[in-house]
Amino acid sequence: MTPAPTLAARGVSKSFFGNAVLREVSIALQPGRIHALLGENGAGKSTLINILSGALLPDAGAVEIDGRVFRGLNPRDAHRAGIAVVQQELGLTTQLSIAENIGIGALPRRYGLIDYRGLARRARAAMDLVGLNEDLATPVGDLPLGRRQMVEIARALFREPRVLILDEPTSSLSAHEVETLTALLDRLRAKGTAILYISHRLNEVMRLCQHVTVLKDGVVTADRPIEGVEAADLVRLMVGRDTGHLFPAWTPSADRDPIIQVSGLSSGVLRDIDMSIRRGEVLGIGGLVGQGQEDLLLSLYGALPASARTAEFNRQRNLPASVRRANALGLAYVPADRKREGLHLIHAIGWNLMLPSLARAFSLSLRDRSKERVLATALADRFAIKGDLTRQVRALSGGNQQKVALAKWTPAEPQVWLLNDPTRGVDVETKREIYALLRRLASEGKAIVLSSSDTPELVHLCDRVAVMREGRIVATIEREALSEGAIVAAAMGADPLRTAA
Amino acid sequence: MNAIESASLRLYWPAQRQRNRGAGGLLIVVAAFLALYAYLFPGLLSVGGVAKFAQSWLPLAMVSMAQAILMLAGGVSLAIGAMVSLGAVIAATTMAGPLGVAGGAALVMIAGLGVGAACGVIVVRLGLPAIVVTLAASFIVGGAALLILPRPGGTIPAWLSDLLAGDKPVAAWLVIAVVVFWKLYLATPLGLSLYAAGENPDAAYRAGVPVDAARILAYAVSGLLATCAGLFVAAKTGSGDPVIGEAFTLNSIAAAVLGGVGFLGGKGAMRGALAGSLLLSVMINVMYFLGFPPVAHYIAQGLIIIGAVALPEFSARRRAL
Amino acid sequence: MNPGEAVRFPKVRPRALFASRPVLTFLIVVAVWIGASFVKPGFGAFGHLRYLVELGAVVGLAAIGQTFVVIAGGIDLSVGAIITVSAVGAPLVALAFDESGAFAALITLAAATVIGVLNGLGVAFLRAHPMIMTLAMATFLQGLLILLAGGSAISAQSPLLEWLGSARPGGVPAGVLVWAIASVLSLLALHATPFGARVFALGANSLAATLSGVNVPATTVAVYAISGLTAGMTGLLLLGMNGQGYVGIGDPYLLSSIAAVVLGGTSILGGSGTYAGSIPGAVLLVTITGLITVVNASPGWRSILFGSLILALLLISGREARRR
Repeated sequence: MTPAPTLAARGVSKSFFGNAVLREVSIALQPGRIHALLGENGAGKSTLINILSGALLPDAGAVEIDGRVFRGLNPRDAHRAGIAVVQQELGLTTQLSIAENIGIGALPRRYGLIDYRGLARRARAAMDLVGLNEDLATPVGDLPLGRRQMVEIARALFREPRVLILDEPTSSLSAHEVETLTALLDRLRAKGTAILYISHRLNEVMRLCQHVTVLKDGVVTADRPIEGVEAADLVRLMVGRDTGHLFPAWTPSADRDPIIQVSGLSSGVLRDIDMSIRRGEVLGIGGLVGQGQEDLLLSLYGALPASARTAEFNRQRNLPASVRRANALGLAYVPADRKREGLHLIHAIGWNLMLPSLARAFSLSLRDRSKERVLATALADRFAIKGDLTRQVRALSGGNQQKVALAKWTPAEPQVWLLNDPTRGVDVETKREIYALLRRLASEGKAIVLSSSDTPELVHLCDRVAVMREGRIVATIEREALSEGAIVAAAMGADPLRTAA
Repeated sequence: MNAIESASLRLYWPAQRQRNRGAGGLLIVVAAFLALYAYLFPGLLSVGGVAKFAQSWLPLAMVSMAQAILMLAGGVSLAIGAMVSLGAVIAATTMAGPLGVAGGAALVMIAGLGVGAACGVIVVRLGLPAIVVTLAASFIVGGAALLILPRPGGTIPAWLSDLLAGDKPVAAWLVIAVVVFWKLYLATPLGLSLYAAGENPDAAYRAGVPVDAARILAYAVSGLLATCAGLFVAAKTGSGDPVIGEAFTLNSIAAAVLGGVGFLGGKGAMRGALAGSLLLSVMINVMYFLGFPPVAHYIAQGLIIIGAVALPEFSARRRAL
Repeated sequence: MNPGEAVRFPKVRPRALFASRPVLTFLIVVAVWIGASFVKPGFGAFGHLRYLVELGAVVGLAAIGQTFVVIAGGIDLSVGAIITVSAVGAPLVALAFDESGAFAALITLAAATVIGVLNGLGVAFLRAHPMIMTLAMATFLQGLLILLAGGSAISAQSPLLEWLGSARPGGVPAGVLVWAIASVLSLLALHATPFGARVFALGANSLAATLSGVNVPATTVAVYAISGLTAGMTGLLLLGMNGQGYVGIGDPYLLSSIAAVVLGGTSILGGSGTYAGSIPGAVLLVTITGLITVVNASPGWRSILFGSLILALLLISGREARRR
C-alpha cells in the first residue's frame, strides 16, 4: 500500500471564458519521488500548477494536502503547508537584494521587524544549495537571466518545502547550472521531498523522474511509473498521435530568390547578425528561450531600433525604420503573446480582422461597412473561424484567437511573414491548420520566418533553421542536416562556433 | 560566529548602499543647488537658517514621501493636496479646543490613516483605477475640509507654532524622525512587501506576499503623512485654510518623478523622492531670493516636471515597445 | 446581405439598444427633467430647458476632445487651462482690421490646437504619463496666463463673439448650433473613419496597435490636438456668453468634461465608448449641478456630492472593467 500523497488534486476542472482548460484531472505527489508532468504548450500544465499551489481555485474537484481536503486554498495557506513553486515566468523584484527576494513572503521577524541577520543566514544556506555565490545584497536586477532562475529556485528552497513544484526550471539555465539542479533534486528526493517537475526536455525527464503524468488538451492521458517507457511513447501520449502526421508533406518550392538580406544587424541583445531570407522558404529560428529570437523578428519588423552594415528589403535599401514602413515593404508580424501584442481583446472579431487595413487607409476617408462585412466574412470562412463576428475576441479559444491574429494580415498580402511562436498554447487541430497554411504560403512564393520554441516544428516544417545563442546566429542548418539533435546541440553550444550563412 | 562568516552575512547595510546607485547624479545636482543657495544666502549655514529652511522643506518632503509610497506600490494619488488641507483644518479647529494639542494631533493622524485606508480599500479590493478614485477622493476630502472650516481661520496654540516653526531647528529633527519612521516601516515584512507588490503583484501573490494588505497599508501611511504635513503647515501659519494644500498634489508628483520614482510601481527609492523634494524646495527658495515673481514658479514647475520625465527618455536608449 | 453574413453580423435587437449606455443616459436625463419639473415649477418650461442645453453645450464641447483622449487611453487635465487661455487670449489678439473678430478667433483656436499638439508630442515621444504631461502643461499655462492677464477680467466685444453668446437662429442658441455641428463631425470621425478605428485600437491595446501598423504617435498627437481645439472652442463660447474672460474661467470645465465622458459610458480605462454618450452626459451634468445649486448646498457639500458622483459612476463602469 502506498503512503498518502503529500499533495494531490482529485478530479479538478477549470475553464476560462468558457474554454475548458482542465477536465477532471487527478494527480498525486508522493514523498521521495520526482514526478514528471508532461504536455504540450497549452495542455493545461501551468493551470494545474496554479491550482495545486492555491493561486487559482478549481471550478470543480478538490486539492488535498496529506489527505485533507482544502477548499479555497490560497498561496499563503499553501506555503504554510510546505508547498513551494518555482514559476516559469520570473517573479522577482529587481530592486530588492537577492536575500530579500529569497525571503519575501516568508521573512523571519524579530520584534515585528525583519530579522536581517536570520534572513542572511538562511538565504545564504539556500543559495549554497543551488550554487549561487553572489553577494547577498546584490540587487536581483543586476543578475543575468539564468542566475535569476537560480534565485527563484533558492526562494523555493528557503521555505524548506515538503512539496517542490518546478515549472520548466531549466529553460534558461546553462549546462553547468542544470547539473547542479539535477544533483540537488536527487538529494531532496532522498530526503523525502515530493517533487513535481515540468520540462520539455525529455532526456532530462527520463533521467531524473520516477513517475510521469501526461496532459493532453486538459485531460490526463497517462499516469504511470516512468520505468519501461520510451521517449517516443511519451511524445505520442502528449501529442495524441505520431508527430509526423501533424505536419504537411515538405516539398521544396521553385522560387528561391532572396527577398531580405542583412549583414551586421545589431539591436538590443542582437550582435552582428548576417542572414538572408528567400522567397518560398520557411526559415526557422531556433535556440533556447530568450536568446534574442524575438528581438531579431522585431528589428526586421521595424519595431526595435536597430542598425545594420548592409540591408536590403524587397529591393529597398536600409532596415525599415517603423512598423508602418515594414508593412509597406510587405512584412507582417504575428507576435507570440497574442493577448498582449497581437489582438484587441475587448473589440469584435470582425473589427480585429479589419485593423491592419484600417491602419493603412487614409485617415479621414469614410469606412465602407458593407465591404468590411464581406471581407471579414470571407476571412472567417477561409480560416474556419466559426460564428458571430461581432463577439469580442476574448470569447474565442486560444487556437481561434491565433487564427484571427494570422487572418487579419492576409488582406495586406504580405510577402514576408514573421511569426513568433505561432503555435504556443494552441490546440492540435489548429496547429495542423497553421502548419498547412505556412507550407501553402511558402509554395505561393512567400517568405516565412518561423521562430519557435517547439523543436519538432522546426525540424518538420522548415527549409533551413538558424539557431541563436546569446544574441548571435551560431549555426544555420540546411534541410538535409536538420534534426532535433542538431538544433539542440547548436543551441547549447555543443558545436564549435560557426558563422552564419 | 566568527569574523569571516559574519562578514559574508552582512546584509542590511550593504543592501541599503546598493539602493544608492543611480541617485548619484541627482545628489550632485541637489548639492550644487544647495551650494548656490548657501552662496546667495550665507545665513543658511546658521542654526536659524537651517531651521527656516527645514520648515519650508518639511511639508514638501512629507507629501513627496506620501506620493512616492503610492507610486512604489503601483498607484498614485491626486488627493494629496486635499489631505493636507484636511489635516490643516482639523488641527486648526481642534487643538485650541477641549481636545488639546494631543487630542487634535491624534485626530489628524486618525483622519489621515482612515481616509487613506478607505481609498486603498476601494482601489485595491475593487480593482478600480487609482487616478480616478483619488480624483473623486480629492473632491470629497476637499469638501469635508470646507465643511469643517468654510474660510481660513481657527487657531493653533502659539507655543506649538513657536516650537515647530520658531527659531529652533525642530523641523530639521522632524525630517530625521520621518526618515527613521520610513526606515522602520520598510524594515517590517509588510513594508518591504511594497516593492514586490508594486513591481509584479501577480508573482508576489503567488510567492505568498500579502499583496492587498501591503498596498492598503501603503495608502493608509500615505494618508497619515499627508495630514501630518497639513498639521505642520497649519502650525507654521498659525491657523487653518481649507484650500492651503492644493499645490501639494502636483508638487508631490513632481518631487517623486524628479527623484526617479517610476509610475509603474516598484521602481525607485524613497531617498530619491526626498532628494527630489529637496531640489524642488531649494529651487523655489532660490527663485524667491533672485526676485522671480511667484507666477514664474508655475512656469518653472511645469517645465521641471516635463524635463524630469523627458530626461531619462533621452539618456537611456530603450526598446521601442 | 447574404445568409453567411447574417450569421457573421446578426442584426442588433431593439431591446439591446435600450441597454446601451448612451440611450440609458439619455433616458436618465429625461427622467430627471420630468421629476424636477413636478417638484419645482418652472423647471420644465421650454426656456429653462433650452437654457440647460445651452449650458450643456459648453461642457459638451469640452467633452468632445476629452472623449477622444479617454478612448485613446489617455486623459487631458489641461482642458480647463486651455479654455482659460482661449477665453483670456481672444480679447488680447483683437486687431484693428479684424472687424468681425473671426481672425482673432482663428488665431485663438490655432493656439489652443498647438497646445494640444504639444501635449500629444509629450505623451507620444517623451513617454510622459498623460496625466503628468497635461497637468504640467496646465501648471505652465496657469503661470503664463497670470503673467499675461494678471488678476483682472478682460472684456471682449466682437460681432462673432456676440453672435456666439446671444444669437438664436431659428430659436436655437448659437452655442447649441455649434455644439450640434461639432458633435456630428466628431461622431463621424470616431465611428465612420479609419482614424476613429485607430483611436479605439490605441486605447484598447497600444502595443498591439503598433504591431498592427497603426501610427500610434501620430494618432496620439491627433487626439490631444482635437482636445486642444475643442477646448479652444469652449473658451470662445464661454467668452461670448460671459462677455469677459478671466483667469480661472475654465477651471470648472476640466472635471465636468471628464465626468460627462464617464457618465456617457466611455471607459476611463480607454478603448471603448462613444461621444454619443457624452452628449446626454453633459446635459445630465449641468442638470445635476443646477439642482445642487437649487437646494442651496454649501461649496463643501457641493464638492462632496460631486466627488461621490464620480466615485459612484466609477463603481458602475468599474464593474464592466473587471468583467474584461
